[in-house]
Amino acid sequence: SLDFWKLLYVLLKQIHGGKWTESDAIGAQVSFVKWALWYHGYGRPQLQRLAADGSAGSRELLLAFSWLLHCPGLLQQLLARNRVQTGDGTSVCTCEDEVPESQEGPGEAGPEGSVDVRYLQWLHGRLRLQWCSLHAQHQEQCKLLHKIHLFTSGSHMDQNLGHFSVTEADLIRHPENYKQLLQLLESETMQLEAFLEWKQLEPVYWQWMETVLDDMAEEGKMCESQDAAVEKRRLPEVTSCCPWAAKLAGQMDRLSRDLLALQEQLHQLVAQRKAAWCEKVAAREELQKERFSAAARRAQESAELKLRGLPPLCAAQQSRMHGLCRLVLRNKQPASSMASGQCVAREAAAAASAAEVIRELRLREASLQRELQQLQQQCRTRLDGVAEGLEGVICISP
Amino acid sequence: MSIVTVQLGQCGNQIGHEVFSALCSDSRGTHGLCSKTENQSYQDSCKERFFFEEQSAVPVARAVLVDMEPKVISQALARAASSGHWRYSSHSHFCQKQGSGNNWANGYCVHGPRHKEAIMDLVQREAERCDRLGGFFTIMSMAGGTGSGLGAFVTQCLRDAFPTSFILNHVIWPYGTGEVIVQNYNSVLTLSHLYHSSDALLVHENDVIHKICAQLLNIKQISFRDVNQVIAHQLGSVFQPAQPARGGSGYSRNPLGDLMETLVPHPEFRMLGLRNIPQMPESSLPYSTFSWPGLLKHLRQMLIANAPMEEGIDWQVRPPHPGSSIPSTSKALHFNTSIANLLILRGKDVHSVDLGSFQDPSLYTSWLKPQDAFNAWKTPRAFNKYEKSAALVSNSQVLLKPLDSIVGKAWNMFASKAYLHQYTKFGIQEEDFLDCFTTLEQVISSYTNL
Repeated sequence: SLDFWKLLYVLLKQIHGGKWTESDAIGAQVSFVKWALWYHGYGRPQLQRLAADGSAGSRELLLAFSWLLHCPGLLQQLLARNRVQTGDGTSVCTCEDEVPESQEGPGEAGPEGSVDVRYLQWLHGRLRLQWCSLHAQHQEQCKLLHKIHLFTSGSHMDQNLGHFSVTEADLIRHPENYKQLLQLLESETMQLEAFLEWKQLEPVYWQWMETVLDDMAEEGKMCESQDAAVEKRRLPEVTSCCPWAAKLAGQMDRLSRDLLALQEQLHQLVAQRKAAWCEKVAAREELQKERFSAAARRAQESAELKLRGLPPLCAAQQSRMHGLCRLVLRNKQPASSMASGQCVAREAAAAASAAEVIRELRLREASLQRELQQLQQQCRTRLDGVAEGLEGVICISP
Repeated sequence: MSIVTVQLGQCGNQIGHEVFSALCSDSRGTHGLCSKTENQSYQDSCKERFFFEEQSAVPVARAVLVDMEPKVISQALARAASSGHWRYSSHSHFCQKQGSGNNWANGYCVHGPRHKEAIMDLVQREAERCDRLGGFFTIMSMAGGTGSGLGAFVTQCLRDAFPTSFILNHVIWPYGTGEVIVQNYNSVLTLSHLYHSSDALLVHENDVIHKICAQLLNIKQISFRDVNQVIAHQLGSVFQPAQPARGGSGYSRNPLGDLMETLVPHPEFRMLGLRNIPQMPESSLPYSTFSWPGLLKHLRQMLIANAPMEEGIDWQVRPPHPGSSIPSTSKALHFNTSIANLLILRGKDVHSVDLGSFQDPSLYTSWLKPQDAFNAWKTPRAFNKYEKSAALVSNSQVLLKPLDSIVGKAWNMFASKAYLHQYTKFGIQEEDFLDCFTTLEQVISSYTNL
């Protein structure tokens, strides 16, 4: 089963964009696989209890592997990761990326682990300046892309695109580079062919897995009663190989706490409102019975209308496509070449215009700004509270 | 990537012209002492940064010239065109007929808003010509009216229009016994306003440069042109292409960003001083030899003892002993504590230089370790006929005394309300003055408590 652990490790590492080497320790591999499976939502506790040296559990691993094939679509994700990109890509989703694995330590820790605040200000300034440099680099890239797209417009065979991407323009100038591209495309084709073959044989695999599951179910019934009661949903230990997992766990904890708190508040509010209304209603009911029932009906109807109006608002938050999109330059005037009705339909299917994306990003920026201001206000009130406790100190907030 | 230079006022335009001349002549020079490919990439990098190639084959400086009088600008344009090796664009200058009368308020409150659109138009055009805008470099003097007042206004406009770009203000510190009576007012107002809008202030003191001309270059009758040429030489030694230590091979494509990131991330500490070694008359160059250890030793002592040049250094000043946690008040007398230093080395054998003496933690303030505080850029290509040269851009207490002195003098004038009506009549009120004094007192206090 060592090999099986290794296989899962390699596959999962590829999905999470990490690098792996032959010499990664078996202990690290095992813990990474456990974490990654937990991250994807695989909840079977028997897997988490497997030995850390990878000596046992090949059947559990088989189950996990099959689950990965089905639920997060392991093969599809691998294929998507290894696609050859010939267009100029960019992504429009605003999901937070996983933190990359290289994290430098804080570097400076004075006595008792305190850090001089001026050093923190220094680091913050460096971060801001590096961000400005990055911004300038991006602007340059956009400018140059625009130039290339503009100069090569009208040359592409695919009318839908209309102009070359950087890779394609480079191939025109240096035709001898086609060999590398050809190799990449050939390997991708091989992967796709293998996938198609698998798809044809897939039903056999699942039939076999059913028998495995039946076997496990029988065995399970015999030894389940011992650990069912004691076993809580324990989180695997945090290891250094997946720092992002710790961050995710922390976020989830925070989210669930916030949700519970919100739920509490909501319950209380609702209870209070209900009590108040009930009193009023009881008081009025005696006086005007008929008029009251009509008013009640109207109130109910307007409430229903409002509720119906809510879901679209929430749905608007729905994220757009993830992954890479190809950048295509379009003229403002509807060009005559886009005459075919087919073309238009295909384009409208999975495209996003720059203006829409900009609008959405602006909305998101505005909401993040509001959040920042709230947090700053909280910090200010905290500082004021601290300053009041100190004698002879006047705190002037920025 | 490209830097857009904004030359403001009489002083700014004269110096700006000398700077472009120096950059161009160094780039074209045959004194490189390096391989042909190295020289070629040096030239290409310099050209991309400061010049724009037009079909007419003479490079055009990426500059905007602004002044309230036409005289200096037309001189600069004419001189550049007559050089035959570079020129200014014919559409990049803005001037008016009347001056600013050495009145900061006139420049800031009257000329600024009135001509904002025209000036920012020119700047936008230059910025759009760059494939990659690497930032703005403004040149101005603090003492006059146009450079200082209009300069402060333009810097603010730059910051508003380009919030993520780097802005480096080159500021000329006036002579202590200068001719302009209100130069201290102008200086205080300029410095405090610049502190809010720009990323860094690179200062040249006229008194210091004057001494260099007199003692090192042996010039008898020192003219403004001599002073400006020394300043241009020093600026050139900073801005010509160099390779940052941790980048791969190849000249930095982000010089202003690299400079800012190594020296001025902290918002309270933005004042930079510049020291350059060696400086000698051109005629003596062929008879002199230099060694890196000697140059660096002198430069280090120039930094520690706050000496402006390599003659007359006080060798008695030593950094405080490490290991004893001394509060800053009892540090060795006159010792110049640094926050961050950037050393730029150009010339032969530059890769074998030992920089350990600059990485001594006792040179730096306690909250920053040398690996954060010290950086070095190198290039084997020699600069301006000096076989070996070193420049030190330093964020340290080097400007503390001059700043203190100017603020003190300005405060004395302010306390007796001298000449205030000339400012209030254009819209600068006493509260504005007080705000400026507060800002600068804060800066002085931050630097004193290193």
